[in-house]
Amino acid sequence: MDVEPISARIQWRGAAARAAFRVGVTDIAPAIPATVAWGLVTGVAMAQSSLDLPQAYGLSILAYAGAAQLAALPLLTAHAPLVVTVLTALIANLRFVIYSAALKSEFAMLPFPRRLGLAYLMGDVPFVIYSRQSPQFDRTLRPVYFLGLGLCNIVIWHLGSFAGLIAAGRVPAEWGLDFAGMVALIALLVPLLATRAALAASAVGGAAAIALDSLPAHAGLVVATLAGIVAAFLAEHLSGRGR
Amino acid sequence: MTAQSITWIAIVGIALTTVLTRGSFVAFAARLRLHPLVEEALRFAPAAVLGAIVVPALCLRHGRVDFSPSNAHLVAGVFAALVMWRTRSMIWAIVAGMGTATLLRLYA
Repeated sequence: MDVEPISARIQWRGAAARAAFRVGVTDIAPAIPATVAWGLVTGVAMAQSSLDLPQAYGLSILAYAGAAQLAALPLLTAHAPLVVTVLTALIANLRFVIYSAALKSEFAMLPFPRRLGLAYLMGDVPFVIYSRQSPQFDRTLRPVYFLGLGLCNIVIWHLGSFAGLIAAGRVPAEWGLDFAGMVALIALLVPLLATRAALAASAVGGAAAIALDSLPAHAGLVVATLAGIVAAFLAEHLSGRGR
Repeated sequence: MTAQSITWIAIVGIALTTVLTRGSFVAFAARLRLHPLVEEALRFAPAAVLGAIVVPALCLRHGRVDFSPSNAHLVAGVFAALVMWRTRSMIWAIVAGMGTATLLRLYA
């Protein structure tokens, strides 16, 4: 095995690593109520589908992807062709490719199993918080910081999801619990909007997403995100930089 | 094949899409060189994706853009954003957003 220098210096143990892990848990803690609510909504939807209980738990644990699960559920229930169901889930998951590309160089020094493990813990909330907060950590501490964010998020989401599977019909849809997840994303967005480029990213991403809303399985989300990224890039390069 | 085993195959397929998308660059193509401009542009992924998720969720009602005050999600979402802006507290933002949405649902 070739042990690269930087890979040997990555800290998983010791006081500094424990502290970084704890900061990860603390940073994601304010989102816990919303994550529970979002998991709950997903769990309830799965309990009310045609899946039996082992299938519902299996889907939740293996896929760990709220939006993809919700998009695939009606197709599973209708016994749609396998390709259609999996393709729908793929499209709903496609935004994670963008996240994965954004964090690629952060974890490139880790061995493959650890990269795969950290990648699996990726979610909207951990990604956004990590992007914002990780620069304050030394590169050798960032993986364990991400681990703190990601582990806390997955545990909380599954608690909510299992609660939803068990509670099933006893959580009325009128409570609008799915809106809690949306409010958490709004709260994550607001501090990002400090620059003109970030404002352009959000505004163009949002407008494009509205225009593309009729596409199935959130396909428009990926295109809209790319449009937002390009807009931000242009805004930054056309406004500042001495011209 | 029974319907049940087909469902299980679909479940495994869905799980594979999770692994493939999240692992795409971090796990499977970590050595791939991205153009420096692409890497730079990707810094704006969080703001772009959050805008693309949040804006339609607030502004669209039954598939149409609705900026009227009767759009409860829009009112509650904008209020939550204002509270977040002033307090920098996600907890207060969620309380404000969910509280407003609930009040509007019950009384408006």
